[in-house]
Amino acid sequence: MARTAFLRRMGAGIITLFWLVIPPLQAAEAPKAAGRTPAGNPTDWWSLRPLRRPSIPEVRGPVQPANPVDCFLTAALEAKGLHASPESDRRTLIRRLSFDLVGLPPSPTEIEAFVSDSDPMAYERLVDRLLASPRYGERWARHWLDVVHYGETHGYDKDKPRPNAWPYRDYVIRSLNAGKPFSRFVQEQVAGDVLFPGTRDGIEAPGFIAAGPWDLIGHEEVPESKIDGKVARHLDRDDMVVNTLQTFTSLTVQCAQCHNHKFDPITQEDYYSLQAVFAAVDRTDKRYDTDPDVARRRAELSDRDAALTQRRRDIDGVIHGRAGAPLKELDQRIAEATRNAKGSEAFGYHSQIESRPDRVKWVQVDLGKTDEITGIVLHAARDDFAGIGEGFGFPVRYRIEASDDAAFESSVVMLSDHTGADVSNPRLRPVEAAVSGVKARYVRVTATRLAPRSNDYIFALAELEVLGSDRRNLAQAAPVRALDSIEAPVRWQRANLVDGWAPGGTRGVASDLAMLQREREALIARATLVEEQKVLESIGREAAEVKSALNALPPMSVSYVATVHRGGGAFTGTGAKGGKPRPIFVLNRGNVQKPGREVGPGTLSCVPALPSRFELGEGHGEGERRAALARWLTRPDNPLAWRSMVNRVWQYHFGRGLVETPNDFGRMGALPSHPELLEWLACEFRDSDQSLKTLHRLLVTSAAYRQRSDVPQPAAVEVDADNRLLWRQSRRKLDAESIRDAVILVAGKLNLTEGGPSFRDFVIERPEHSPHYEYHLHDPEDPASHRRSIYRFIVRSQQQPFMTVLDCADPSMQVGRRNEGASPLQALALLNNPLMLTMSRHFSDRVERQGGSVEEQVTWAHQWALGRPPAPAERALLAAHARAHGMAQCCRALFNLNEFAYVD
Amino acid sequence: MTRREFLWNSGGGLGGIALASLLGQEGLLGAVPATVSGTHHRPKARRVIQLFMGGAASHVDLFDYKPDLIRYDGKPSDFGEPVEAFQDGLGPWMKPVWPFRPHGECGKMLGDVVSDLGRVVDDMAFVHNLVGKTGVHSQATYLQSTGFQLPGFPGMGAWVSYGLGSINENLPAFVVLPDHRGFASNGPKNWDAAFLPGQHAGTILYPGSATPIADLFPGKKGGYITAAGEADAQRVMAELNRRHAATREGDARLDSRIRSYELAARMQLAAPEAMDLSREPDWLLDRYGVRRNPPTWPTDINAEEEAHHFGTKCLVARRLIERGVRFVQIWSGNDNSFPRRNWDSHEDIRRDHGALAAGFARGAAALIEDLRQRGLLEDTLVLWTTEFGRMPSSQGGKGRDHNPYCFTNWLCGGGIRGGVTCGESDQWGYKPRDRNNPTTVYDIHATMLHLLGIDHTRLTFRHNGVDRRLTDVHGEVIQGLVG
Repeated sequence: MARTAFLRRMGAGIITLFWLVIPPLQAAEAPKAAGRTPAGNPTDWWSLRPLRRPSIPEVRGPVQPANPVDCFLTAALEAKGLHASPESDRRTLIRRLSFDLVGLPPSPTEIEAFVSDSDPMAYERLVDRLLASPRYGERWARHWLDVVHYGETHGYDKDKPRPNAWPYRDYVIRSLNAGKPFSRFVQEQVAGDVLFPGTRDGIEAPGFIAAGPWDLIGHEEVPESKIDGKVARHLDRDDMVVNTLQTFTSLTVQCAQCHNHKFDPITQEDYYSLQAVFAAVDRTDKRYDTDPDVARRRAELSDRDAALTQRRRDIDGVIHGRAGAPLKELDQRIAEATRNAKGSEAFGYHSQIESRPDRVKWVQVDLGKTDEITGIVLHAARDDFAGIGEGFGFPVRYRIEASDDAAFESSVVMLSDHTGADVSNPRLRPVEAAVSGVKARYVRVTATRLAPRSNDYIFALAELEVLGSDRRNLAQAAPVRALDSIEAPVRWQRANLVDGWAPGGTRGVASDLAMLQREREALIARATLVEEQKVLESIGREAAEVKSALNALPPMSVSYVATVHRGGGAFTGTGAKGGKPRPIFVLNRGNVQKPGREVGPGTLSCVPALPSRFELGEGHGEGERRAALARWLTRPDNPLAWRSMVNRVWQYHFGRGLVETPNDFGRMGALPSHPELLEWLACEFRDSDQSLKTLHRLLVTSAAYRQRSDVPQPAAVEVDADNRLLWRQSRRKLDAESIRDAVILVAGKLNLTEGGPSFRDFVIERPEHSPHYEYHLHDPEDPASHRRSIYRFIVRSQQQPFMTVLDCADPSMQVGRRNEGASPLQALALLNNPLMLTMSRHFSDRVERQGGSVEEQVTWAHQWALGRPPAPAERALLAAHARAHGMAQCCRALFNLNEFAYVD
Repeated sequence: MTRREFLWNSGGGLGGIALASLLGQEGLLGAVPATVSGTHHRPKARRVIQLFMGGAASHVDLFDYKPDLIRYDGKPSDFGEPVEAFQDGLGPWMKPVWPFRPHGECGKMLGDVVSDLGRVVDDMAFVHNLVGKTGVHSQATYLQSTGFQLPGFPGMGAWVSYGLGSINENLPAFVVLPDHRGFASNGPKNWDAAFLPGQHAGTILYPGSATPIADLFPGKKGGYITAAGEADAQRVMAELNRRHAATREGDARLDSRIRSYELAARMQLAAPEAMDLSREPDWLLDRYGVRRNPPTWPTDINAEEEAHHFGTKCLVARRLIERGVRFVQIWSGNDNSFPRRNWDSHEDIRRDHGALAAGFARGAAALIEDLRQRGLLEDTLVLWTTEFGRMPSSQGGKGRDHNPYCFTNWLCGGGIRGGVTCGESDQWGYKPRDRNNPTTVYDIHATMLHLLGIDHTRLTFRHNGVDRRLTDVHGEVIQGLVG
């Protein structure tokens, strides 16, 4: 059987079975998609044409359906001589609708109430009740997060956590539950900080741009000036561009990175113009107030603080003018002394890292010639790594020796010996050893007991001074050798040992500074008039009040978003240049080393009649670029976003989109099965209140949605085995989140706490280097992890094995539609994963608490798990099993049934 | 220990009924069909074992002999052009840490630390002019493992599984044996299915651990599960599932899910058996460097311990290949950590490469010999990969910085012409000798697929509008490698 025919027989979704997949080698040559090469006008393509609202077709049958959706579908079925299936029974409907709208099964009480409800509008009331539930936003946010590839670690090497990513997830849930107009939803995510400043949603929504992976090493260890740094930042912008365009327009702009798109009218210049839109922002944490009142108050106080500072500065200016030239000179000397005392990034010398403290390490200087030595001064280093700070790496035991032999094998003179007992860490106090009568060329410091770090041991020093006959430092800039060294400039390298800088200041510097500062204070005091002093004091009092009011405000929130980054080190962002966008060039074949002409901000040029380059004028802020793109995306006369979104929503309700390729509306994508219906829906969505809830209501109240999935129609199978025309509803397999949430709910353990930081169903080992996400170490009894799956902390590199085997979305790629497989590994996970075993037991405890006969208990369990009472034969089978092997075994079997995993 | 005891000791559970119903009825090696249908041309190889050295193994210390580095050892390095090194670490030229000697009929020069491979060098083919795209581990590892330098693409084993399917459905088609200390850069994303159907993802296997495959058996939380209960549960579930499917005609997914539970039960038998080294003879274990009763290892990195761990993976790989697993990926080296346990020897080549290389060479040489003796080498391709090479200069001390501009791969078996070198590096091992004609990972991938009977340009999967390939839009079969 050919693979395509095989797949068609399967019905819904992308189905593959077992390992024994039909080799796709031949099938690959006959793809199912449109695949037409452009001929004639390249923009004359269905998805690019302007939206035009079609009239609702008349059906031939006796009754015109009330829901326009059914008019379109019925007309198409009639054209093939087919008809829809009858309406499903209420038990089926409530289970279908509950999983679909809120991602959870209905309780037996809810089912019985709905089944026995005599109100003819009972179904519509059920729809409204489910849409009003906070569970709705939690369910549908998961669909959205699939598309935008939201994750909570960076991915790539090291895969560090993003503890502040979740506000974006909560933003999506909140927006969906609020029924927010879609255009606002789009605009907030692309440029909320610019278009809706001061609003919580506006600040948190650009988490969308930051949702995807980020190459930490390529940003934090490699500056933008290097090739690898350029590549990392290019790939980073690429992700932002592709995420935005694929999510909102369903076009594959990524194909225009190296050359013009081969199939669609997307030019390479379009692509790089889009990169220019995101050229100023980076993925980073942003601090803000969620309460607008607090934000306003903080702004007022900050303004007052700034005004007071300015007033003080004005008065100081007058006083300084009066103090004249002596003050200027003093300030120069202070600046110089301060430079010497701190501010250097050159920490010092750092040995290799050892697992044991008793490793011997040495570092030595070569004075160039044999010279008289009168003293040695050691300066400890400072590094906040592992919270150590001052005294970092200073050896616990050590000795200092001098010799004329570079190998220290002969003529070795001991200068200072601390190998017999532990020394206390000097912090930043210089440690001086007086020496007399020694002449030597080499001085070596040997650590015989290393300093503890986090779980390991090192030897580090900021500075080694060797004092000569005139107390001059002979070691300044001398060649340094060491047994071993971590050469990680600027901070750590051998040469830093003799660069004349230590964090506590080298000899004399610190006291110089203190003296100079006292001198300056005295000079200023002499130059200040009495009235000025009074004013300054009153300013000081007011400033203190303002400060304490600022401190009394609730702490600021932090959210991981795309914004102008102000950092130090290699990952500086554009903050240092006032957020000015990086220049963007068309890259020849996508190669960062072959930049072509520079481009300004813009977008796709393939939508007829819409301008594609943003004319923003000189000196525009970076945010204006994103705002322009956000406005372009949501224009009523831009058809892309409206078509894209109604198709996505349709897919989640019916198992397959009207266009089967939700992320590709180009020539390599599929064609719409019902083009007129898609147009009508897109117009209807755009022209309504643009709330997704309105769209859901329209779709799920259709007869097409409510029809049965299990009525055999041999004639229809003959004509349309794929069910493209929707002559029946499609049976749906529960996704990973629905399985997990349903299992925990049925077990009676589901914790419905909303929002906030994600729960972690793993233990992190070795967080200091590359965190290991150890899922098997997590105890599934941990109640914190019994929340809904939408609140799960999503790791990119080591994805949650249980959810992954159940085909949950991979946060490293944009998932428009999930794969659906059935493999032995899925069976093993559902049988044996600790979560399943634990929840089966809790379910069983819950069942047994009901009391009654085993038959009654089994009936109760069956109703919770499958939404219906068992038939007598089923009940007998389960009861016998429970009697023989325990209720927990029986509950585990219920969780593993096909009926549990599928919704009719 | 009998197989029955082994299975129950491995966690009990479904093995019980499988034992009752399957053992004896069916050869555990599974049915291995004689021919693979549906390939583009007649395949030379049917299976692949990939050895991936995480952290970037030094070509100039192991496989790529550069006499000029010995001649100019310690002299200031001069590359003839500005060089961007990852840590800016460009010290003087540094000679290979180990002496090189000729081996085999072909006389290939190998560093002493990998001299075990000398026994099989006439079956091996070397490529010394591979070039990468960046010196960043993560991107470079992705490039080698998936053909793309960013996440979101299927691992090469996933492509092979997708293209050729399974030989033995009782075992996964693509198995990964990670370094026992932890994952290399990118972790499981290197063997992910990405957009391919999920079952093509590499299945992680930890030989010798309490749970060699996740969830293969009920663990501690399943204390209430007995063998008899498990067997009865299977029967009850099958009966209820059949009743359910009976009123839902024409949905093959329901039947396939029923079957997946049957296969799961068979995998519970087949997987522990495939990993059970207890019946391998002592002399063979010794050949692989595997200790039947491992001692308490010293805390410092050492060759014996490396050989034991790597050899165990190699031996398990042979058993998996023998039982019809399509693609086995073995990793040496974890992600960056202290003390260093990977190939990223910025500080000291001798310290890290010494133990890792001796350990891997012992296992790999034994594996190749073992495959050859069993007649498996002729249709099993062995591929040695790393993410990039290391600089011919020191980094100031005893280590070497990253060299993405030139590095080595070698291949063996599966239709590879032995004893040859295809593609040379320049006098230093800094860049390809012919800079206009380097070898890329795409060429290696194309060659691997070619040997498996697949035209790499025709193995595609449409994802988000693009017909994706393992080789992107590049790649040429390296004809010189094909025997």
